Amino acid sequence: MAIRPGGELATRPLHFIWIADCSGSMSTDGKIQALNNAIREALPLMRSVADDNPNAEVLVRALRFSGGAEWHVKPTPIGEFKWTDLRAHGQTDLGYALNMVAEELRIPPMSERALPPVLVLISDGQPSDDYIGGLEALMHEPWGKKAVRIAIAIGEDADTDVLQQFIGHPDLKPLQANNPEALVRHIKWVSTAVLKSASSPASQAAGVPLLTHMPLPALPPASDPTLVDDVW
Amino acid sequence: MHQLLPLGTTVQSASGHPCTVETFLGGGGQGEVYRANLVDRVLALKWYFPEQATPAQRNNLEVLIRKGPPSAPFLWPLELAAADDFPGFGYLMPLREPHYKGLVDLMKRRTEPTFRALATAGMQLAQAFLDLHTQGLCYRDISFGNVFFDPETGAIQVCDNDNVAIDRAVDSGVLGTPRFIAPEVVRGEAAPSTQTDLFSLSVLLFYLLHIHHPLEGRREAEIKCFDLPAMNRLYGDEPLFIFDPHDEGNRPVPGLHDNALAYWPLYPQSLRDLFTRAFTAGLHDPEERVRESEWRAALGQLRDTIRHCEHCGAENFHDVGRPADEPFACWHCDQGLAPPLRLRLGREQVVLNRDTELFPHHLDRLRRYDFGAPLASVQPHPQHPQIWGLNNRSATTWVITTAEGTTRDVEPGRSLTLAAGVKIRFGNLEGEIHR
Repeated sequence: MAIRPGGELATRPLHFIWIADCSGSMSTDGKIQALNNAIREALPLMRSVADDNPNAEVLVRALRFSGGAEWHVKPTPIGEFKWTDLRAHGQTDLGYALNMVAEELRIPPMSERALPPVLVLISDGQPSDDYIGGLEALMHEPWGKKAVRIAIAIGEDADTDVLQQFIGHPDLKPLQANNPEALVRHIKWVSTAVLKSASSPASQAAGVPLLTHMPLPALPPASDPTLVDDVW
Repeated sequence: MHQLLPLGTTVQSASGHPCTVETFLGGGGQGEVYRANLVDRVLALKWYFPEQATPAQRNNLEVLIRKGPPSAPFLWPLELAAADDFPGFGYLMPLREPHYKGLVDLMKRRTEPTFRALATAGMQLAQAFLDLHTQGLCYRDISFGNVFFDPETGAIQVCDNDNVAIDRAVDSGVLGTPRFIAPEVVRGEAAPSTQTDLFSLSVLLFYLLHIHHPLEGRREAEIKCFDLPAMNRLYGDEPLFIFDPHDEGNRPVPGLHDNALAYWPLYPQSLRDLFTRAFTAGLHDPEERVRESEWRAALGQLRDTIRHCEHCGAENFHDVGRPADEPFACWHCDQGLAPPLRLRLGREQVVLNRDTELFPHHLDRLRRYDFGAPLASVQPHPQHPQIWGLNNRSATTWVITTAEGTTRDVEPGRSLTLAAGVKIRFGNLEGEIHR
């Protein structure tokens, strides 16, 4: 009879937060639909990465921002996470959104012990409010500073300078998604490779400079330049 | 998220045969693995990301393919593969058998093997790395993802062998996987070698038997954000064994590290001593690390000291170093257990359970560990099932001397009744049954 004591390997929570721009401009050219689709596409892969990781308890949530911001999905274990469609209208209140993320990263409600949170900001435009104040509030929180911050720019109108400030590291650039295929690729990369390295880094190669305090895997292959501007 | 080779693609093996990509199996840091069909033989095909498909990787694979696998558990590169329409290259290897489970399954308790299967898996792991190191090769990236085991038998398979290299000869750039990397490699003072493999092997064995990391105690509990600098401190700059007998500063914290607290006291002192050496002296001095042959012997002994609780059936370990008159209770049901019937073979002891089998290494120290064909097994008497005996499944006749001094032959196929005081001559080695 197989009886052994104890339970599963001890884990730490890993908070994965989508911060999605739902401003009016996201409703043009099917951008918001493409984002909904990309996240749905990536979910099974994200589940499988979490399933293979014995060290992390992955909790996913999503914040939508337009005029103001609101939690679209509350913290949910990855196994139970379901995506409901985002809709686009209104302004681009990024500052409001970052303030809300900052509040959630405060201890409490955050636990004292965790893995570095992963924050993924997806935007197609320019902030319409005081985003600097929001970013300062975020970076004021220890968990905000420690977070692995990734940004995806949708289309050519996205303000990459703002996204770069959010990332806060000169060598790590916003991922540019000029078409739905590139968006799917980037979303898949953050939900698999980045999720993996933030919780249980894969084997390490010598001489690879660290872009953040967690090793990030190689970026996905650059999109085919002939595709740029083709779709939106 | 496969993106390198579309399903249905045909690549060419180095021997000139077409190989068709059938399904995507998984991706890692270096490339993607597919199930592929090479002339009606189903194999695994690993294809490298373009930036990983380097001449150095290719040369290394050629060396490994030429050398061949160190032993059967290695799913070794068989031949290189290339394709006209896709950049880079890949290699073919045997496919892992589906009933093998990953160590992640063990950590997440999705598989519940017996202690016997785990001890066997540990022995086989030690044997596999001994075989690899004997060839002058080192693995460099021992971790959860690379080892699979059969939860019924404890047989193992070792995957991802493309980073194996001649010890200290090639700098492939692979440092290992955090939590498994030797402290001197974490600190950047040494490159991976067979000596650092020994550290990673010890960590893997500790995980196998404790479902916990040997350095994660109070110091881990005090870390808020478990990021890379924190990991480097815990596993590199300030490593301290959670059961260091001379420094209690990193003991497991109840509520956070319960597995370590639950498993550690179950094991015989000799095994705990070995882990202690591996993670105290062996943390700082690679020459003090526990060698594969020592692990193999210790885990073989662990396997031999398993005794089932007569009340609840749980596996307990009979500690041969424990005084016989010291009371012993089952860890699971807490009921007292009398000392089990044992067979003393030289310095070793084998507990005689209803399912005990003796293998070549038990009866001849020079024989290789092989759990394929037992030479003896405990069996009930066919007419009197309450009487248990040791059945001779070898090809040689044993000679026994009973407690009263009578000698008898036990020909192949016959059994002797298990009773304290019986001496058995198995060829060169004499054993004695005692309680």
